[in-house]
Amino acid sequence: EEALLPAPQNISILSTNMKHILTWSPVIIPGETVRYSVEFQGEYERVYANESWIPISECSLITAMVCNITEDISATVAYNLRVRADLGARRSEWGTLKGFFNRNSTSLTPPVMKVIADGYHLLVELEDVGPAFQFHVLYWKKGQERRMQQKVVKEVSSVVHLDTMEAGAEYCVKAQSYVEAINRSSSFSQTQCVRAQGDTSMWL
Amino acid sequence: TAGNKILHFGACRVSMSMTEIRAGFTAIKANIQARDPIRSLSILSHPHSLHKVNSSDRCCMTHHLFKFYVDKVFKHCKTEDSYVNRKISSIANSFLSMKRKLGQCHEQNQCVCGQESTEKFKQILANYEGLNVTSAAMKSLGELDILLDWME
Repeated sequence: EEALLPAPQNISILSTNMKHILTWSPVIIPGETVRYSVEFQGEYERVYANESWIPISECSLITAMVCNITEDISATVAYNLRVRADLGARRSEWGTLKGFFNRNSTSLTPPVMKVIADGYHLLVELEDVGPAFQFHVLYWKKGQERRMQQKVVKEVSSVVHLDTMEAGAEYCVKAQSYVEAINRSSSFSQTQCVRAQGDTSMWL
Repeated sequence: TAGNKILHFGACRVSMSMTEIRAGFTAIKANIQARDPIRSLSILSHPHSLHKVNSSDRCCMTHHLFKFYVDKVFKHCKTEDSYVNRKISSIANSFLSMKRKLGQCHEQNQCVCGQESTEKFKQILANYEGLNVTSAAMKSLGELDILLDWME
C-alpha cells in the first residue's frame, strides 16, 4: 500500500497592510510534482456551522507554496487555515495553521508619502494600499510645531492639497495610516519638509 | 475607505464594515435571489417595512436581526457553488463580529427592547417559520440589502 504523503509543515501567515498570504514548506518527493489545496474556517463556521471548512478555489491543486487569502479573511474574527498535499492518487493529512489568525494582527507600515511644493501650494501624494485604509496627515510651518494641523484623507485617488504656504517659508509633513475595520494605526512616516517659492522678505 | 460606518444607537456606537458586507452580498445577490421561487412573499418587510420601526427600538431590532441571521439563516444557505459559499462565509463572519459588538451594548443596557421591536421581530420569525427552512433561509439571505439599506 502506497505510503501516505506527509502533511505540509511550517504553515504560517504573512500579513502586512491587510494583505494576508498563507505560506508553507514544500512536501518533497524526488522527481515528482506535489500539489496543494487550501481551506479556511471562520469563527462562524466553527461555532454555528458544524466546524465546516471552505475550500479556496484559487488555491486548489496548486504547485506553489503560497496562497493569497486576503479576500476570504474579510471579517475581524479568528480564522483557521489548513493545507493538504496531493500526488496522483496519494493524499496527505491536513496540515493546520498553529493557532488562529485574526486580521487585527496585520502589521501596518508607515505610508509611502511624497510632499510637493507647487508654487505656494503644499501638496502630498500618498501610496494607495487598498480600500481599507485612510490616512491622518499632519503638517505645520517649520518652527511652529505647536500650530500643527491635521487632514484625514479617506480616498487616495490623487494629490491632496494641504495648505497655501507663505512665500519662502518651509513646511513639514508626516502621515500615518489608519484602518477603521480593525481600529488600528501605523506609526508615522518620516517627516518631509519643502519650501514655498519666493523669498521670505516679501512678508517683512 | 472600506466604508466602515459608525452606527449610533443612542449611547451604543458600533463600527461596521458595511462596504465589505455589501460587496460580498452584491457579488452573490443574483445567484441567491434566483434560488428563491416565492418572490411575492417577504420575510423582513411583511406586513410592515423595517422603516416603520421607531428610532428608540432600532438598536434592539438590529441586535435581534443579527442574531436571527447568525443563528438561523446562514447555516441553511450552503450551495454547490464554492464562490457563493465563500461570500456567504464572509458575510456570516462579519455579522458574527457585529452581533458581538451589539451584544456588548445590550449587556450594558444601551440597547433596550421596546414593545414595537419585540412585536416586529415576532412577525419576522413567523414569516420565516411559515416556509420550509431552506426556502426561508435563502429568501432571508436574498433580502439582506433590505436590512443593509435600513441600517444605513
